[in-house]
Amino acid sequence: MICWSCERATSAGGDCASCGAIQPPDPKADYFAVFGVNRRYDVDFAELEARYREQSRKLHPDRFAKADPRARRASLQRSVQLNEAWRTLKDPFKRAEYLLALSGVSLTKEVPPALLMETLDLREELAEARAAGDDGRVQAMARAMRARVEAAMHAVASGLASGDLARVAAELVALRYYRRFMDEVALHDDAVAEGAPTAEMRGS
Amino acid sequence: MAVEALFEISEPGQSRVKDACKGRAIGIDLGTTNSLVAAVQAGQPVCLRDPATGEAILPSVVHYAADGSVVVGADARDRLAPLYPRDTIASVKRFMGRGPGDVEATRRLTPYRFAPAAAGDPVVRFVVGDGAPAVTPIEVSSEILKVLRARAEQELGGELGGAVITVPAYFDDGQRQATRDAGRLAGLEVLRLINEPTAAALAYGLDKGAEGTFAVFDLGGGTFDVSILKLEGGVFEVKSTGGDSALGGDDFDRAIAHDLLSKLGLPDDAGGDARLARRALDAARAVKEALTTAETAEASLVTGTNGSPHAATVTLARAAMEALVQPVLERCATPVRRALKDAGVEASALSGVILVGGATRMPLVQRFVAGLFGRAPLADIDPDQVVALGAAVQADILAGDGVRDDVLLLDVVPLSLGLETMGGVVEKLVPRNSTIPCGATQTFTTYADKQTGFDLHVVQGEREMVAECRSLARFKLTGIPPMSAGMARLQVTFLVDADGLLHVTAREETTGIETAIQVKPSYGLTDEEVERMLLDSFAHAEDDVKARLLTEQRVEAERIVSAARAAMADSPELLTDADKMAIDAAMAELDRVKVGTDHHAIRAAVEQLDVASKDFAGRRMNRALESGLRGRGVAEVEAKVAETEPKSDLQSRMSGAGHGGHSHSGSSHR
Repeated sequence: MICWSCERATSAGGDCASCGAIQPPDPKADYFAVFGVNRRYDVDFAELEARYREQSRKLHPDRFAKADPRARRASLQRSVQLNEAWRTLKDPFKRAEYLLALSGVSLTKEVPPALLMETLDLREELAEARAAGDDGRVQAMARAMRARVEAAMHAVASGLASGDLARVAAELVALRYYRRFMDEVALHDDAVAEGAPTAEMRGS
Repeated sequence: MAVEALFEISEPGQSRVKDACKGRAIGIDLGTTNSLVAAVQAGQPVCLRDPATGEAILPSVVHYAADGSVVVGADARDRLAPLYPRDTIASVKRFMGRGPGDVEATRRLTPYRFAPAAAGDPVVRFVVGDGAPAVTPIEVSSEILKVLRARAEQELGGELGGAVITVPAYFDDGQRQATRDAGRLAGLEVLRLINEPTAAALAYGLDKGAEGTFAVFDLGGGTFDVSILKLEGGVFEVKSTGGDSALGGDDFDRAIAHDLLSKLGLPDDAGGDARLARRALDAARAVKEALTTAETAEASLVTGTNGSPHAATVTLARAAMEALVQPVLERCATPVRRALKDAGVEASALSGVILVGGATRMPLVQRFVAGLFGRAPLADIDPDQVVALGAAVQADILAGDGVRDDVLLLDVVPLSLGLETMGGVVEKLVPRNSTIPCGATQTFTTYADKQTGFDLHVVQGEREMVAECRSLARFKLTGIPPMSAGMARLQVTFLVDADGLLHVTAREETTGIETAIQVKPSYGLTDEEVERMLLDSFAHAEDDVKARLLTEQRVEAERIVSAARAAMADSPELLTDADKMAIDAAMAELDRVKVGTDHHAIRAAVEQLDVASKDFAGRRMNRALESGLRGRGVAEVEAKVAETEPKSDLQSRMSGAGHGGHSHSGSSHR
């Protein structure tokens, strides 16, 4: 591509090789490339975070408050891309999904019937425990689910390492259901924490 | 992929900063109870003080007099609010971006009169003065901002290079837009709105060189925010934020006031008596503040009608007051837990808890915070000034003066942004706590055969159903050729720029038909409304000048009277009976005319007092000179004369009074 500033040849997603002007993002660059790290599941989180800060400091629109409109636009687009990349890669679950997508494997919409049945039962049991105000039972179910989430994330990590992508896809589908379960536990925890006096005051 | 669609947006996020190099940029903390203005001077943020009083804090209280003049600040709060409770608006921030239907506006125990809601009017309006048009919270807030702007112009010398105004992190888009409009209406170029806890962390972090993960617990007069931030290498990254935009010290006052009224056998909503409501709230605030240090305090409340006033007192122990306040305070717990969870941080892993807001001075609040986080909060910080100081730093960064180019703020979207889909369900495109700038793209399809348009409804909030979220905007994409259901593909892109403003683009993929809007929440003022208000304020420029002269003369009158009283008390032996009668008469006359609206009359009365006290003043002068001859330096004698002299140069004091004093007349564009 051609640099918007000096009109010499350069590449997207960086600074112009000739004049140093900020360039718009490279739409083909994957999130790992945005950070300049290798494409792998077990990233060095501290390194990733340090790169995020370093890149933010360089690309953020506040740095270009008085710059040429084209530089401001490039800065905005690069920052949006950087923040999206950070949001995806810092979360192990999203990172795994993303790696799978990069490998061309998409998560199937076909959910194994056994998984569907089991999670439906679990959700129902959770709803019953919540309705009965049985916090102890909710917490026990949450602990069991946390253990399953952990085991599934391990399976995802080893599947990605060994290239067993079908396994990874299956685990990620299951994890979506597990996470929805945990979201409901979080709702329960919030409701418990809010307690009765709060509701009373809200009415005033 | 989301980002690709974002690349196609043409010129999003026009920077507001481009013309901002004219003068110094300022930071404004527009608070529920108090407001402050700060600027970076010699590399350090400092709060700008009222040159007349030396006060940095401007009480956020606005009085509308019957003649249309406006008084802002301590005078409005302390003198005018008890006399004219309906015409003196305190805590206006709680009404920003609120509609007449919002619960907040119709709360019990309020001294205000609200204009009847006109059909389709999305804004709360206060009825103030006599027969004047009702004012919106935006206009009221702009009066506060005008005073701060005048102070900054005076202190910094001339035109300003724009302003950063702080808002509670948990303000929604409507409340933010209203704040931005208030800034525009006050003649400020609003460079950006930044979140109060973020501003506080910025000021604290820079001042202390702090690194690590911090929680900011910000309990102000009317709003509660909690934010979790990571401070490292000059980057201030907000991890999560939460809060309640209708929870604050005012709610403590209200709980205490209800109790006071009940104890006195009065209806706990003051039975619609505005003065009683105001007095009960003021008494509650006073007793709450006294109990910060004392174990017991008396709340005194004048009850009864004007004809038969009756002073009653109620003794309140700190523990009893705390019991009243505790249930309100408990409401802070859930947002705190949620913010920690969203940030993925355990309370034990925090490096510190920063307290912001006047309400955090209460021992109960400090204990509560310590319990919630399992650690004592940091105490080495001024909870009143820290937000304005942080805003000044960010203003300095945005104005590009380069003093702080090592610092970067990474803030987040406080509430999720989404679109209405079938059945009134919200499809979230941008989840809360996404770092800005950010974007998201989603593809939708038609649900009916031959559907030629899409209705897009942009909403904000965490709830699943549209009805429980705040509506931000509606728009249409039309002109799609008729196709079978499910054939058209609508790609909707949300972009939140670095200013936190949302831009929405919708594009039908098979035809390339496209539409784009910058979301203007329905709770702000339209551009036309702001323009009309600005035009009105020009049209009333002459009235404004009169109003300002009046305020200046009133301030001057107050000062002269208090100086004369001080001199009479200081040296009664120099006062003849004839002097005293003349001075008393002149003071009485001044008291009478200064509540009127004729600034000429006030000026004449000031001069009359001047004449009446001439002989007395002369004797004081002589004595001061004599004592000077007994070995004091001339400069010291002059200083002494100036200090105690009731009739010193009127003109020189006037020059200070124009911008100063607690009271300041803004333009009254009503």
